[in-house]
Amino acid sequence: MKRRTFIQTMATSAALTSVVGCSRGAAPGSSADGGETMKVGVLFSLTGGLEIVEKSMHDSTLMAIEEINAAGGVLGKQLVPVVEDGASDPRVFAEKARKLLISDKVATVFGCYTGASVKAVLPIFTQHKGLLYYPTYAQGNECPSHAIYTGAVPNQQVTNFIDWTMKNLNAKRFFLVGSNYVFPREMAKVAKIFLQENGGEFVADEYLPLDHTQWGPLVSKIKELKPDSIFSNVVGASTVAFYREFKNQGLTPEAIPICSTVTSEVETQAVGPEFVAGHYSSFPYFQSVDTPANKTWVANVKDKFGANTVTHHAMECSYWQVHIFKQAAEKAGELDPELMRKASLGLEYDAPGGLVRIDPDNGNAWLTPRIGQCQADGQYKIVDEYAGPVKPLPYVAYGETEQNLYCTTSGLDTTKFNPQEQQS
Amino acid sequence: MNLLRIRRFMLSPYTLLSAAILIVPLFVVDPFWINRLGLYLVFSILALSMALCWGQAGILSLGHGAFFGLGAYCMAMSLKLLSPDSLNQGTPFPLPDFITWNTPPGEALKLPWLWVPFQNLGFGMAAALLVPALFAAVVGWFVFYGGVSGVFISIITLALVVILNLVVIDQQPITNGFNGLNNLAPFDLAGVVFDPYGLPAYYLIAGICVLLLLGLRWLGSTRAGLLFRAVQADEQRVQYFGYDVAVYKIFAFSLSALIAGLAGLLFVVNSQYASPTIMDVSISIAVVVWTAVGGRQSLIGAVLGALAINGAQNALSESGSLVHVWQLIIGIVFVLVVVFLPRGLAGLGADLWQHLRPQAKAVEAPALVAEAELLSVPVPQNSHQSGQRQS
Repeated sequence: MKRRTFIQTMATSAALTSVVGCSRGAAPGSSADGGETMKVGVLFSLTGGLEIVEKSMHDSTLMAIEEINAAGGVLGKQLVPVVEDGASDPRVFAEKARKLLISDKVATVFGCYTGASVKAVLPIFTQHKGLLYYPTYAQGNECPSHAIYTGAVPNQQVTNFIDWTMKNLNAKRFFLVGSNYVFPREMAKVAKIFLQENGGEFVADEYLPLDHTQWGPLVSKIKELKPDSIFSNVVGASTVAFYREFKNQGLTPEAIPICSTVTSEVETQAVGPEFVAGHYSSFPYFQSVDTPANKTWVANVKDKFGANTVTHHAMECSYWQVHIFKQAAEKAGELDPELMRKASLGLEYDAPGGLVRIDPDNGNAWLTPRIGQCQADGQYKIVDEYAGPVKPLPYVAYGETEQNLYCTTSGLDTTKFNPQEQQS
Repeated sequence: MNLLRIRRFMLSPYTLLSAAILIVPLFVVDPFWINRLGLYLVFSILALSMALCWGQAGILSLGHGAFFGLGAYCMAMSLKLLSPDSLNQGTPFPLPDFITWNTPPGEALKLPWLWVPFQNLGFGMAAALLVPALFAAVVGWFVFYGGVSGVFISIITLALVVILNLVVIDQQPITNGFNGLNNLAPFDLAGVVFDPYGLPAYYLIAGICVLLLLGLRWLGSTRAGLLFRAVQADEQRVQYFGYDVAVYKIFAFSLSALIAGLAGLLFVVNSQYASPTIMDVSISIAVVVWTAVGGRQSLIGAVLGALAINGAQNALSESGSLVHVWQLIIGIVFVLVVVFLPRGLAGLGADLWQHLRPQAKAVEAPALVAEAELLSVPVPQNSHQSGQRQS
């Protein structure tokens, strides 16, 4: 009897310790700046509906890390990327962000694509003191204290686009369409405000869920309403179905051009260039940007990831923001998130798409607005381009100007922009 | 004899598992792992609700994500309104930040009527339990009195979770859609702050998990539990005995939904987050998989299944090299378990238990005792009596 209980107790406790052993083993507790290495987090979706886009951003982040390591690292230390998969789900993004900050103890994370995933992780970065470098075009109306945004904001992507469309494509009546989450909705709101101020109008404002592929009824509605142009914020896999259905129902870019803030080279490749050719997109970077720096970068990317690989705006930002991080770390001398964010402000880098600068006030990036028209080979012909980088204004739709900033280093100025006044 | 019963209680798998759950924090000091183990226990509670519904009452629900999600949203709405961000929106009432983004230009800001009662945390907590339970009762009333059975219940519940998911995503101005509710206040109950990374939150979840484990075991030993299993075995026969089968089914289904809602509430305490992805088809299917792998007729099996699969899932998805195939691996494990271990891990455990105590074989029907213990069927003495009562 005694022997039996003893064996059982032993078995139980062995099982217990093995469980605990596993958990300890998977939770390395070494500090970020100990030894000759420096850990950084890399958090994109490697699985799920957004994999195509986010994998390319993940790849170019690691590419930049490798380049920096080959050139001697940061502060003499080699960067060690801790890679996590956000699985195209904001819940998983939040969980992995917590793992990176609390368990892996990284101070800096490069990552996120959708606005929903950023909204999910930002409170975690604020609460647990981390710094997020976010490489995607965003909808604005944000003033985060623990992030650097390196993608376009509305005054670099939307207002110039609608202005150009109204003047050059003679468009007055817009059909707004997007995926159903924060980015497309806020982008549409910005577009509406801008249209109102400039004598345009919108005939519809429609949203479909992120992975939705049944576009039949919506394209029929477009046919019925006959807008001059479609302002599209459709994201992810449903982009494919949208352009295909559009062409299959007999609509052409000559009759109704789709003006997209999301469809870049990589989405075009997934849709098939014959479906996108003739439509327009607005980004500060296209693969076709004709500079020596870009040609070298595109060649390096193709070399590394295959001749069929295309480059695009968010991928370019994912790349150069790591180099900004390197400069910031060397300026700050350590990875403390608050010092790092301060150090990032005002830094410049010769990115593939031209000179970029982190704005000293709001931590977004100075970028050069460009508009491209898709060609038969899936590349974009640049049809409009600013002379140089433009200061980012995340609150441009609500009256923010270069002379009257809403978001500065001391946060959002609620005397200039508060929800109550915004409504009146 | 008394000593033997005490010993048997002390050594029963229930006691051992409960003790293990409660003493784990002595060995795990990393707050991140405390939080993650808490999350696994939340999923275990969800699996327990499935074990009650499917394993005991024979109702295979493919829509438990709906109840889990409703519970989570009710709790998250209250905590969202209590967060410093919502209190500092410059309005005389607390206002979730996303409502300002979603209000069309030119319209006045107001708290949607659906949100108003959630300003009271007690209301949010009660709603997290009662909303799923009432929802299940209404659905159950139509389904079970309508004579729907078998696979059609699964299809209806599956459709329910899809519809609910679409509604939540589409009603972005009220629900924040796909973005979900985040940036919540920490759960503060009567002065105790349940920091998701602290021991109080872990023990809150672990305590409820242990209580449910023991409570559901007790329920299984009552007349109601016996009827659940009888209905599962031969519904018509039970009906001929004069029982209103539908009432028992509605009771089991609603209680199960209530427990799923409780799991949702605890999920929010643990993760400070609620989004449509926790009330979708994939989590509804996942909970069926956990329960099946653990052994659907065993409460312990459900808990172990949820712990094992979630643990494996995180280990595989964070291993780097296996990031692309982990879903495949989980799928294969599921198929193998269903084919080769139809009673799940609990069945395997019961067999191993037998090997560990060979001399007991001579004594009264030992295999039955061990399996009864694991499968939460009443111990033989009781089953004799109830067997007589039934015939």
